[in-house]
Amino acid sequence: MISIRNVSKSYEGAGAAAVRDLSFDVPAGEVVVLIGPSGCGKSTTMRMVNRLVEPDAGTITIDGRDVREYRPEQLRRHIGYAIQGVGLFPHWTVAQNVAVVPGLLGWERERVTERTAELLELVGLEPGGYGRKYPHELSGGEAQRVGVARALAADPPVLLMDEPFGAVDPLTRDRLHAEFRAIQDRLKKTVLFVTHDMDEAVTLGDRIVVMRDGMLVQQDTPERVLAYPADAFVASFVGAERALKRLSLAPVTEALDPPGLARACDCSVGSTASLREALARILELGVPAIDVHDEHGARIGTVSVESIVERFKRPLT
Amino acid sequence: MRALRPIVAPILALIAYLSVAAATPLWNTALAAAFPGETRILYPDATPLGLVVQHLELVLISSAISITVGLALGIFITRRAGVAFHDVVSDLTNLGQTFPPVAVFTLAVPLLGFGLRPTVVALALYGILPVLRNTVAGLKGVPPEVLESADGVGMRPVQRLLRVELPLAAPVIVAGIRVSVVVNVATATIGAIAGAGGFGAPIINGLVNLAPAVTLEGALLAAGLALVLDALLGGVERALTGGRPPAV
Repeated sequence: MISIRNVSKSYEGAGAAAVRDLSFDVPAGEVVVLIGPSGCGKSTTMRMVNRLVEPDAGTITIDGRDVREYRPEQLRRHIGYAIQGVGLFPHWTVAQNVAVVPGLLGWERERVTERTAELLELVGLEPGGYGRKYPHELSGGEAQRVGVARALAADPPVLLMDEPFGAVDPLTRDRLHAEFRAIQDRLKKTVLFVTHDMDEAVTLGDRIVVMRDGMLVQQDTPERVLAYPADAFVASFVGAERALKRLSLAPVTEALDPPGLARACDCSVGSTASLREALARILELGVPAIDVHDEHGARIGTVSVESIVERFKRPLT
Repeated sequence: MRALRPIVAPILALIAYLSVAAATPLWNTALAAAFPGETRILYPDATPLGLVVQHLELVLISSAISITVGLALGIFITRRAGVAFHDVVSDLTNLGQTFPPVAVFTLAVPLLGFGLRPTVVALALYGILPVLRNTVAGLKGVPPEVLESADGVGMRPVQRLLRVELPLAAPVIVAGIRVSVVVNVATATIGAIAGAGGFGAPIINGLVNLAPAVTLEGALLAAGLALVLDALLGGVERALTGGRPPAV
């Protein structure tokens, strides 16, 4: 767990403090997304965790140990770090880039080679072909995959990610998001993720911390941030379509009416679909309700516009 | 081995240059044919190859000092501890460059005596600027996200410098070394007035004795050496850049 307590930071020459009396936790195995407009102090906060920036006040602990107890280089070798520009070393091959932290930690050569191949595989790059390429031969999406592989190389329990999927097209980005979630479900890292994009935050985060002017405005689950924005700033930041974003977070099973005698229509969606997909089908077909079937194809209930509206009226816990 | 290909041709050119310089009778014949009626054809006190050895001694010692000092200063003023000295060092070296080398020799002679030493000191001072300027430009040109990555993965400052910054800045630094060395080959001819020998000796000898063939001997040797060293360092520059696009 990363624990940030009463942390403040001002830069010389800057008027207001970059971070003011900030406290929050990143629970073990969860993804906490730090979000806010540019200049709100989110990157500064992240960089204080691996001591690229030293706080003026407050403490940051990882699993109960103050980060100041470690030498900065030692600390950073045990924290994965991925950034927006990726920052691959242009004079090294992909394999050498991925192997940098294991190399600094003095792993044996065979173990490093094995681990590099394993990681390239994990991020969906064929190790034989990509290992020997140089960064300038990669597409934007491939470079960002390598950046993630490099961050994961020494199997650090904690990952810091500063808009690591920033500079790619929306389609590639969606795919990288899905892959990141799949990897995270397997590896259960403790991740502090920085972004200014609410869609990304909602997709990737187990919890969201909203910042403004160096201060914490709201911290909650993605759905609760969308449903109950703390103030007008958060409301405008999450956007006018926040109800639609909530739809994609909730599975159809949360708005299920028991199956009626008659079939709602000659159509259905799977039980793993989101309410957003169900509503899209309803609108497409122009029907008031559709059936939901389980993985065996058995009808388990119906979802209707009314049931979705009811679901949204229920208070969230 | 493929990376060394760009320096193969320049090395062959260097060997050819030295072979031609070693063929004293060839010089005699060629210059006598070019200046019919002249009695003084070759510089009397040293063979062409002997002049090359003297000149290379001047150039190699002074360039080694220029490169060492220029690199060290360039690295120092781009570190956090040295940033405060950045402007002072740049101004001083720029000023040094505006000082005519002849004046430097004249001032150095009373302090260091005649011969090799004042010449080497003056040439070394003179050659620092291009190395320093390119070292700073090369190091500053390393992309910030690459530096942030180097810090973020836990490299110590020395590791970052040796494994990331210098390799990425190397092509630009070598370009500076190239300029410094080539200019040095030409400037070192002035060393003859301080008695340091080298190609300046026949040039001045020919001038004083109205013997154009002798002057041409020194000038040809100097131009040839400058061209060969320029090609060699250009090859090193290309070898360092390899197949990848320059980072800066």
